[in-house]
Amino acid sequence: MSKPQGSNVKERARTALQDEFLIDAVKFTTERLKNGKKAATAEHGNWEEWRERGRQIRAHTVAHLDYYLSRFIENARAQGVHVHFAPEGKDAARIAMDIAKHRGAKSVVKSKSMVSEEVHINEAFEQIGIESIESDLGEYIIQLANEPPSHIIIPAIHKNRRQIAELLSKEAGETLPPETQVLAGFARRKLRDKFLEADIGLTGCNFGIAETGTVVIFENEGNARMVSTVPKIQITLMGMERLIPTWDDLEVMATLLPRSATGQKMTMYMSGITGPKRTEDGDGPEEMHVIIVDNGRSLQLGDPDFQELLNCIRCGACLNACPVYRHIGGHSYPGTYSGPIGAVLTPALNKNAEEWHDIANASSLCGACYEACPVKIPLHDMLVYLRNRKVERGVTAPGEKMAMRGFKMLMGSHAWFERAVKAGQLGQKLLVRGGVIKSRIGPLGGWTAYRHIPALPKKSFREQWTKVTAEAENSFKPMTDEMKSRMEKIVQSRAKGGH
Amino acid sequence: MAKSDPEFLARLDRESREAEKRFIGNIAHRLGRPAAGPAPVHPYRGAPDFWASYELGTEEKIGRFMDNWRAAGGYPERIASMSGVPEVIARIAKERQARSTIRQNLPELASLQLESVLPELSHHAWNGRDHEGSLNICEQADVGIVLADHAAAYTGTIVVASSADKGRSVSLLPNVLIAVIPAERMYTRLGEAMSRVASIPAERFPAGVHFISGPSRSSDIENDLTIGVHGPGAAYALIVG
Repeated sequence: MSKPQGSNVKERARTALQDEFLIDAVKFTTERLKNGKKAATAEHGNWEEWRERGRQIRAHTVAHLDYYLSRFIENARAQGVHVHFAPEGKDAARIAMDIAKHRGAKSVVKSKSMVSEEVHINEAFEQIGIESIESDLGEYIIQLANEPPSHIIIPAIHKNRRQIAELLSKEAGETLPPETQVLAGFARRKLRDKFLEADIGLTGCNFGIAETGTVVIFENEGNARMVSTVPKIQITLMGMERLIPTWDDLEVMATLLPRSATGQKMTMYMSGITGPKRTEDGDGPEEMHVIIVDNGRSLQLGDPDFQELLNCIRCGACLNACPVYRHIGGHSYPGTYSGPIGAVLTPALNKNAEEWHDIANASSLCGACYEACPVKIPLHDMLVYLRNRKVERGVTAPGEKMAMRGFKMLMGSHAWFERAVKAGQLGQKLLVRGGVIKSRIGPLGGWTAYRHIPALPKKSFREQWTKVTAEAENSFKPMTDEMKSRMEKIVQSRAKGGH
Repeated sequence: MAKSDPEFLARLDRESREAEKRFIGNIAHRLGRPAAGPAPVHPYRGAPDFWASYELGTEEKIGRFMDNWRAAGGYPERIASMSGVPEVIARIAKERQARSTIRQNLPELASLQLESVLPELSHHAWNGRDHEGSLNICEQADVGIVLADHAAAYTGTIVVASSADKGRSVSLLPNVLIAVIPAERMYTRLGEAMSRVASIPAERFPAGVHFISGPSRSSDIENDLTIGVHGPGAAYALIVG
C-alpha cells in the first residue's frame, strides 16, 4: 500500500502540509467529530464519572487478562467457536489463510478491523489468489485507491468527492457523478453482490465479553452485520486485550465509545455474536473462528509506563483533539495507528523503538489527548517515557548527542561557558541582521525555517550581574515617616477586620 | 466452496489447545504470576453507581425513545394497541411502494394478518429450516418486520436476538425496517436490556444479539451523511401501548 513519500515523520508531514485539501478535510472532520463528542458528553452529564469507570474496568481487565481471556476462550468454545492464537501478526495471516485454503474459498468480505491492517491480511489473501474486499464504505474507497486508512474512524478522510467518484467510476466501468447518494448507491449494489457471493466474512472485534464468549462489534453502516450474517464462514480477528468481564461492563463501553468516536449516543448497530449459527437458525455463519492476536501487545503487560496503553478502546478521540494530527493527517505517521495513540502504540507494538523513534517527536506534549481519552490513558506522559527510553538506548541523532555532550562541558565550567558566550557574540556578527538571526544554515535551520532567533546581547546576563547587584544595593531606600504612617494605618485597619 | 471438514477443524483445535498454554502462560508471566490466576474480585462492574437509580416514567421513556429515534433519522410512531398496527404497516408499505414483506416467524406478527390487510403484496415469514430460500426472500423483500425483544429509551435502541424463527437478515437486508415495540418492553437504560440478555442461560443463548438505533448510515464521503448504505435506509419504530 502506498503512503506519502518520506522516510521520517518530518518528511511525510512536509508532503502532507503541501496538500491543501487534506489539511482542510482533516481539520473539518476532526473539528466535527470533536464538537460532536463535546455535545454528546455534555448532554450525557457526569462524563467524568463514566470516564473513571471506563478506566477502572479496562485497567482491571488488563491487570487480570490471563483470567478473563481464559474465560472468554472457554465460553466461546462452549458455543462452538474455533479459537486460535497468533503470537505474531504473520501467525494470524497464516491461520486465516489455512482456513480459507482448506475450504477452497474464493472470496472474503471484510468489515473494519484495525488488527487486520496490522497483520496485512488483504495482502496475504491476495497472494494466494483470494479476493478480499473491504465493505465499510470508507475502507472500500481507500482499498480502491490502494492506500492505508488515515483516520481510525473515518479512514477516507483525506479523499474528496471527485477523487472518490473517479475511483468508483473505474470500478463501475461508467462515469459516476460526484454526488454522495449516487456514489453510496453504487457501493451498496456492488457490495451487496459481494456479500452474497463471499465464502468468508472477516470481522474485527471491539470487545470480547468474557462471561459469555461474545464478540461485540459497533458500526453504523450494517456491513459488519452483513459480514457476520451472510457468508458460511466467519473469521474474527481480536486483539488479545479487547476484553471486558461482563455484559454490565458493556453498558459503560457503549456509553464511552460512540460518544468519543463520532459524538453519537449509540452507533446505529451494536452486535453481540456468540458462536456460529445454532443448528436450527436460518442464517449466520456455519463455522466461526476467532483469532486472538498478540503482535507486541504482551510486551506492554507488566511495564509500569506502558501497560495502560492496552486500555485503549480505539475511539480516535485523541486524533481529533491532537493539534499535530490535525495539521499533518494520518499518513504522516508510520504503521497502522496514527495520532497520539499511534505515536505511542506503533513503537510499543514494534519492539524496535529505534526504527520508529521519530514519531514520538510528533507531539507538542500538550495533553489534549489525555483530556479527550474516554479511558484516561496518559498518552502525553507515555510520549515522554518513549523519548526518555530513546535517549537511554542511545538512539538519538549523532548531532544531538554531540550537542548534549558539548552542553554538559560548557555548563560544567564557568571558564568554558564565558569563552563560549564571547565566541557567540563575535561569531554571530556574520549572521545578525536587524537584531535577529534569519539564516537557515546548519543546526539553526530547524528553528529559523519558521521564526527568527534573537541575537545575543552585547553583554551577557552574567557580565551584567555585578553591575545589577550594585545598582540594586545602592537604590535601597529607607522608609520615610510618611511611608511609616501609611503602613501603620493599614495595620490598624486590618486589626479592626478591614482589608 | 468445499464442505466443512471436521477432521481439519479437530486438528486446528488440538493445535489451539497447545498454543493456548503458551499464549496464556506468557500473559500470566508478564503480569508476574506463575500461571493464570483465579477469579479476581471485580469491584468496578458495570455503570457508575448513580446511574442505577436513573429511572424515567413510562411516558417519559416513550417520549425520549421517539426523540432519539427521530434524531437518528428513523420514523417513530405511537400506536394505542396491536389492533392499530396493521393499518400503520399498510400505510408505510404503500408509501414505500413495497411489493413484498418478510417478518419474523412469531405469533404476534402473524396475528397482524398482513395477508388480508395488504392482499396485493406477497408476505413471508422467516423459515429457519430453509437457509437459502429464506435468505433469497429476505434479499428480495422490500420490508422487514420484527418484534423487538427489548428497547432502551435513553439511547433510542431496540434489541433483536436471533433464533430459528427470528432470522438476522429480517432486520438487515430489506430496504425498510419496521420494528414493533410493545411499550412494556421499553426500559430507561441500555444496561437494563443488556442484563436481560446476559441472564439467558448458555444453552439457549442466541448466536446474534443486535442492538439497532436507527437506519444504516455513513459519513465516509466528505462527511456527507448517507442513509441506507448496507442495511435498511428507512427505519420505523412502532411503539404499541
